[in-house]
Amino acid sequence: MSSVALVTVLSSFLASAVEFVEAVTIVLAVGVTRQWRSTLIGVAAALVALTLLVAVFGTAIVLFVPIDVVRLVVGGFLLIYGLGWLTKALLRAAGARAKHDEAAIYEREIAALRDEPPIPATGMDWISFTVAAKGVLLEGLEVAFIVVTFGASAGMLGPAALGAAVAGALVLGVAALVHRPLAAVPENGLKFAVGVMLTGFGTFWAGEGVGIDWPAGDATILALLAGYAVLGIFGVYVVQGRLATRRVRASAAAAED
Amino acid sequence: MGYIRSFFGFWYDFLVGDRPELFLGPIGALIVAWLTVRANLAAPLSGSLLFLLVVAVGSLSVAWAIRD
Repeated sequence: MSSVALVTVLSSFLASAVEFVEAVTIVLAVGVTRQWRSTLIGVAAALVALTLLVAVFGTAIVLFVPIDVVRLVVGGFLLIYGLGWLTKALLRAAGARAKHDEAAIYEREIAALRDEPPIPATGMDWISFTVAAKGVLLEGLEVAFIVVTFGASAGMLGPAALGAAVAGALVLGVAALVHRPLAAVPENGLKFAVGVMLTGFGTFWAGEGVGIDWPAGDATILALLAGYAVLGIFGVYVVQGRLATRRVRASAAAAED
Repeated sequence: MGYIRSFFGFWYDFLVGDRPELFLGPIGALIVAWLTVRANLAAPLSGSLLFLLVVAVGSLSVAWAIRD
């Protein structure tokens, strides 16, 4: 397997793992408070819809759109999406934004579900089905987006889908064993790593799309990844410093008053 | 009409979200990179410029987020 294929699998795996952890929180909350059968049917329906989305859009893009156009448009989206993940993860790591708290989200979901009408004595519980399907579909849509864009740009839809499938199986397996939200997963660290990967690959492919002939070829990707990672970590320290300075000034001003 | 508005609203939230500079900035960076390629600037310079512009967009967005 080539290094690009390996990084494709890894990026897709990490991005999918984060999204599946978030989806599992919703699924567990629905299953525990309402009815497991309808919840799992909802999850299955959402997974089928996502698989169809990836298969149809991914294959159509790979087969019918010229590679230069794919790299410019899809690489551009990857760059936009990756930069969003990277900056949000940077702000969360520095303490400028609240971190994702799966345990708190789980409690909120359970409280909201307790206000819903009672579970029917027989047949499907459509509330369980809808909430679980919607949760998996919305979180999974981000996975599908990353798999399709990553897979199409690199011409590696298979490895990208494989990474997502392995992540899904792993997260669902662990959740089934421990039966509680996976709050111990370092979500922000994973999002930071995925943000670096998506931004690096997005820059490379979109750059090729606008006609940049990268001097070191595929090896440039490693330089881009290293550059974004180092600057991202540096950014965390800069933001932490700014926030600390602001807190000191605020307490000094409060003391003067 | 409501469905159409919801559809576009969903995709706007999905791609642009609460930080429009992170959507428009990379597009602007790619346009500048394309112009430098058209102007026959050396590939390492065009590539470096694209990287620096992306870093600048990210830094600006982070700075605005802290200010807000």
